[in-house]
Amino acid sequence: MSFTAPLLLLLAIMRTPLFVVIAASAMLGFYSEEIDLSVISIEIYRLAEMPVLLAIPLFTFAGYMLGEGHASQRLVNLTHSLLGWLPGGLAIVTIIACALFTAFTGASGVTIVALGALLYPALKEAGYGENFNLGLLTSSGSLGLLFAPALPLILYGVVAQQMDLDQPVSIDQLFIAGALPGLLMLFMLSIYSMLQPRTENLELEKRRPDAWLSIKQARWELPLPILVLGGIYSGYFAVSEAASVTALYVLVVEVLLLREIKIRQLPGIIRESMTLVGGIMIILGVSLASTNYLIDTEVPTRLFDFIREHIQSKLTFLILLNIFLLILGMMLDIFSALVIIVPIILPIAVGYGIHPVHLGIIFLANMQLGYFTPPPSV
Amino acid sequence: MKSLNRSIHLLEDSLLITLLVSMILLSSGQIILRNFFDIGFIWIDPLLRVLVLWTALIGATVASRENKHIRIDLISRLFSRRIHLFIQIFIGLFTSSVCTIIAWYGAQWVLQDYQQQLTGFSGLPSWILEVIIPLAFGLIAIRYLLHSLCWLGMFIRFDEGNNCAL
Repeated sequence: MSFTAPLLLLLAIMRTPLFVVIAASAMLGFYSEEIDLSVISIEIYRLAEMPVLLAIPLFTFAGYMLGEGHASQRLVNLTHSLLGWLPGGLAIVTIIACALFTAFTGASGVTIVALGALLYPALKEAGYGENFNLGLLTSSGSLGLLFAPALPLILYGVVAQQMDLDQPVSIDQLFIAGALPGLLMLFMLSIYSMLQPRTENLELEKRRPDAWLSIKQARWELPLPILVLGGIYSGYFAVSEAASVTALYVLVVEVLLLREIKIRQLPGIIRESMTLVGGIMIILGVSLASTNYLIDTEVPTRLFDFIREHIQSKLTFLILLNIFLLILGMMLDIFSALVIIVPIILPIAVGYGIHPVHLGIIFLANMQLGYFTPPPSV
Repeated sequence: MKSLNRSIHLLEDSLLITLLVSMILLSSGQIILRNFFDIGFIWIDPLLRVLVLWTALIGATVASRENKHIRIDLISRLFSRRIHLFIQIFIGLFTSSVCTIIAWYGAQWVLQDYQQQLTGFSGLPSWILEVIIPLAFGLIAIRYLLHSLCWLGMFIRFDEGNNCAL
């Protein structure tokens, strides 16, 4: 068995689809335990036993719809008209608009595509330096991952719930836990942006859109965050219910009321968004199998014992964990890191007395930072 | 061959659309029924969960059309395009084999449930709900086999061209 792990790792970094690498490792494991390999399919079928997963296709679809219409333009106008007067206003507009958009679309790639094209020229015009603009846009693309109803939070909850921990991990708790650290990041980045040097462009101030007008233009999208965030944080909606309300609402608004998306565009949008969903969920499916194998063979427990011998204090562990996750975030995208790494480190962290919800936020925050740290960031 | 390929694409696309629209309508319909009319149907929840599984797997087969699955790309930049292509041929074959194994054992599991006449929710036969797993992995296996053949062809012809989209 000892030679297979490096081999699989090599395959993984040579562009083998990740779900194949995970499935292969699970199959090798089960094969060596002489367990019938139909167990893989049985584990994948557990995707049909978790009600919360419904949120993944529905939120992703809604996010793609918002990215396709002119919602991003209206969001920028709105934040610009309300916050544009601040020093460094446009940079802050970028940060807030991107964070909101990412929370709803789930994947930072969508944000960069939908908002980057709008904001990049605007930032340039406002007199910011080239490097700052690019940096701000790419990092803003992943801000918002800690806010409800971002997909990575949901996915972390799903993975953690599979682990049979003593402390229950509810996705609602994760949403609450993510809010403060997320706001802190927005705040810090805003302060930094305010301090950025730039050449004044007074012309721009005059062109700030009228607040009332932009509110009016965004009247259909405005209720959405209130509906979803209010619904989830007040406990009125379960996550999957919030997702279905969002999907239906966005569909009705974009196609029937605003008519920005034609019916004939829908098949393309559905295919694109569900391709992403399929890519994420097939990894989740096979990782249910590999996680099961890991738990059966007590790999996390043994790892914990090993690490325990060298690191005694919880604080040292946390610091090392942060460094490890930061490096990991540079190499893996958030979704794959979630399903591959969380099952291994979560039991170890719990062993050190770290609450699973706490770990989740640490994990995602680090992934987010690692995401915009080179080398191979998207 | 071309027309078979096109029909499969059409089938996948229309299934995805049907599945997603049903999920949206069923789940929001359920909320409306429950809150305003105090009615609930017990089959909606289990059905929705199965629809999610189907959506995920069909989405995954669509992703394999253009080899768009999530993967890590750390060292491919170190190689020339030609060596990279050569490696891809093997990666494709490996992917195809892994998916074949999953599909094969999955099919046996589904067959077993069929023979034992197991039922899922609302008396529906379990095998109908499960059959998507071997089907999807089988299709992904075929697609990656075709990708590999296409890459092999490019390699032999010294073709530096683009992807082998199916």
